[in-house]
Amino acid sequence: MALAKRWRASVGEGQAWGAIMAFLLPALLFFLLFTAYPIAKTIYNSFHIIRPNRPDEFVGFGNYAQVLFADAYFTQSLVNTLIWATVAPIVDVTLGLLLAACLYARLPCARFFRVAWFSPVLISYVVIGVLWLWIYNFDWGVVNTLLRALGLGAWAHVWLGDPNTALWALILVDAWKWVGFHMVVCLAALSSLPREVIEAADLDNCGWFAKLVHIEIPMLKTTLVSLLILAFIGKMKIFDLVWIMTKGGPLWSTETLATYTFKRAFEWSTLDLGYPSAIAVLSFVLVIVFVLALSWLLRQRGRLEF
Amino acid sequence: MTLDFGRLFGRTLLLSVLALYTAFAAGPFAWLAVMSLRTTSEITADPYALPTILHWEKYPQAWFDSNYGTYFWNSAIVTVASVALLSVCGAMAAHCLARYRFPFNRLVFFLIFSAIILPPQITIIGIFQQLVQYGFYNTHLGLILVYVAMQMPLTVYILEGFFKRLPQDLFDAARIDGYSDWEIFWRITVPIGLPAIATTAILNMIYIWNEFLFAVVLLVDDNKRTLPLGIQRFMGDYLEDTGMLATGLMIAVVPIIVAYVFFSEKMIQGMTAGAVK
Amino acid sequence: MAVVTLDRISKRFGGGAPPAVDDVSLTVRDGEFMVLLGPSGCGKSTTLRMIAGLESITSGTLMIDGVVMNSVPAKSRDIAMVFQSYALYPHMTVRDNLTFGLRRRAIDRAEIKRRVDAVADMLGLTPYLDRRPYALSGGQRQRVALGRAVVRDPKVFLFDEPLSNLDAALRVRTRNELIRQYQRLRATMIYVTHDQVEAMTMGTRICVMNQGRIVQVGAPLEVYNNPADTFVASFIGNPPMNLMKAELASASGVVAARFAGVSAALPGFGERDLAPLASPAAIIGFRPEDVYVARPEGADAARFASVRVAALAAEPLGAETLLVVSLSGEGEELVARVGRDVRASAGEPITLWLDLTQAHLFDPQTTRALTRSIET
Repeated sequence: MALAKRWRASVGEGQAWGAIMAFLLPALLFFLLFTAYPIAKTIYNSFHIIRPNRPDEFVGFGNYAQVLFADAYFTQSLVNTLIWATVAPIVDVTLGLLLAACLYARLPCARFFRVAWFSPVLISYVVIGVLWLWIYNFDWGVVNTLLRALGLGAWAHVWLGDPNTALWALILVDAWKWVGFHMVVCLAALSSLPREVIEAADLDNCGWFAKLVHIEIPMLKTTLVSLLILAFIGKMKIFDLVWIMTKGGPLWSTETLATYTFKRAFEWSTLDLGYPSAIAVLSFVLVIVFVLALSWLLRQRGRLEF
Repeated sequence: MTLDFGRLFGRTLLLSVLALYTAFAAGPFAWLAVMSLRTTSEITADPYALPTILHWEKYPQAWFDSNYGTYFWNSAIVTVASVALLSVCGAMAAHCLARYRFPFNRLVFFLIFSAIILPPQITIIGIFQQLVQYGFYNTHLGLILVYVAMQMPLTVYILEGFFKRLPQDLFDAARIDGYSDWEIFWRITVPIGLPAIATTAILNMIYIWNEFLFAVVLLVDDNKRTLPLGIQRFMGDYLEDTGMLATGLMIAVVPIIVAYVFFSEKMIQGMTAGAVK
Repeated sequence: MAVVTLDRISKRFGGGAPPAVDDVSLTVRDGEFMVLLGPSGCGKSTTLRMIAGLESITSGTLMIDGVVMNSVPAKSRDIAMVFQSYALYPHMTVRDNLTFGLRRRAIDRAEIKRRVDAVADMLGLTPYLDRRPYALSGGQRQRVALGRAVVRDPKVFLFDEPLSNLDAALRVRTRNELIRQYQRLRATMIYVTHDQVEAMTMGTRICVMNQGRIVQVGAPLEVYNNPADTFVASFIGNPPMNLMKAELASASGVVAARFAGVSAALPGFGERDLAPLASPAAIIGFRPEDVYVARPEGADAARFASVRVAALAAEPLGAETLLVVSLSGEGEELVARVGRDVRASAGEPITLWLDLTQAHLFDPQTTRALTRSIET
């Protein structure tokens, strides 16, 4: 009885249930059919061996055990992805913030820089991948040509062919794409800081750098934290770039969770969808755990009322 | 006097750093554009020279002979259809979540919103099985449905935030004037919320135009492929044909660049919409 | 302590707009409390910001203690500023807010601590030293902002409408606090406000600005009693001075005015004083407190002129009453400050008495005031 009363109280008089359902239904349907259901299916898969034209074989945690303890490729791809997802956000956001601070100093033609630096964000990873394949080319790519022209020919490298440098070469390309994004967001956040506090810092004898470190960064903490978390989530999903440039090679040095899952599900001839599903579920759990941990770790203490 | 000199020095240093970064950020495109107008033999001879003859004929060549035209249209169809569906369904859902109070409002919102962090691996296997089972595999329709679901969380999140800020008075006045729920949505929320809807449309357009993973899994026929897939196929067959590949890349990139030239502000706003707090 | 000199300072923002500050020349004496007063958009804040170095000077020279400051950066001018929004660093404690500017100036630790403790004590901030701005009330925040300026011991203090964000009661208390600090420090202070009560109570001199120009500079009572033009006359004083159209005539050394159905000789004005006028038309002004409902006892008859009016409204304010009446003829209105027991109903005919010795005359073309030359 009490429950029904509470329900009615929160629903209110003559609630337009028809309208609510009509508005919500399409989006909800998409969500249920193409997001929720596939996730459920993938979780289901992970506990089975799924082969075409054969009934699904239940194996309990068998797949998981194999993935976690007997799969060197998974371990490698996990390490690679985690390196990417921790190093890249820091690099991206730091560079973005520094560039934004440069533009914030009211330079002439700031608008031109902003537009130019943002352009890589709009381009597909596939185009970027091919372009940078050429840039990293040993014989005639930009990097090596530049090094040779500067007399540093000894440093010329097969950047994508050396297991030691391949991952970092890819991280550089990814940074090239995304720094502009972080720069734009940081610039907007900087511009929204109360002008008078910045002027007070000016009067307090703060140079450009001191102002950045002591005043602007502390006041931008919320934005920076959410950028870091967003970047982390994005890097955990990386597939396109790796697929075009190295396909996970050389020697698994650039294999990510996504590429490994893809290979196991659609490329290798094992034809079992259960195993890669287990990998996918593990990736998913990992992302959730890390995002929650990051949010908790970097949470705001105290308010920053202006 | 020393003060002035110091500042001038600092400024020029700053400007040169920025100029260097601009070369870093935009240089590759300039190189790509130049290469797209040179033949492969020219490029092999000297990768960095400026074109002596502008080989404009490579563009129609890429379009017709290398099938880039087909890929372009496929991308266009899929993108436009997905964005249209996303805008309508997303706006409807956002309007409902922002304006109506009902018990599961926040729960539904949280569910849809939390899908943003999902890595695509978790859904792709299930989606693959689904589409195969119901005959949508290797169809544009299947891909469109998947894209709509993929971008729905972000769209609803951004639009809900915007719609929530519309003053309740407008809606109360409309109700008193006798408008139905649907009319209120169409006549008030949509017109006033058009900037936000346009923003999400731009964001979705860019994401879907560039999307690769789902397209690679769910499309098989060459004549159904979208541009990113077309490029990848080209890489497989014709990796040595640098010149043609460059022209193909430019075809993929030119629509976005053209739009960017005219709408740079809108596009920047669109892409950063979810991130600025 | 310092002398601030503005010599023909102008500020132009781009786009062909009229100058925000137009040819302003002003000398602020050592230890003086100068108030820049004017309506919004008159250029007072821009002028202050140019003195601070937060805004560049388009033309003209700014000197502090005789040193040209036009291209000296803000942080090197040895000035401190209190902002309208307090501009406290939100992520620092009160103590850190106070020490921040000092630390960046390489003053030794012991000295910093000494100063901060002294200032906190003086402003009653000692119990709050470890709190953050969000945990303080508006008045406390304003005191921290003031403390931040005081602790710097600058040559000049600049205030940009610091009381606007406070509610009425707090505004009065903080205003008195500021006056107290001024009397203690006797530093050169330049204070921007649009509130004439603040200007009248705090300034040693007031500089009235309008549309980018200085209209009048003088001590508060001087500006009040002898406004330089109709703008100052109606800006200062609440309710504003009553201005009416008048016709002047002079004969045998006596100037007479005809206005609102009244004809009277104006004591103190001679024929020469009317020289700037192009025609007999003029503007005459009476402050509300110089309008009476009854001729004061024992007053010289020639001093007062009576006028028959129709009451519009009587607004009892408690300590006094504001009487709003309608003048015959032009339909102009007059506001009088009268005793608290005065009542009137709408439409009731009343006789009011105007104190002619307090009449102000203005040239309708130039709006400037005509001065009295004869002693009364």
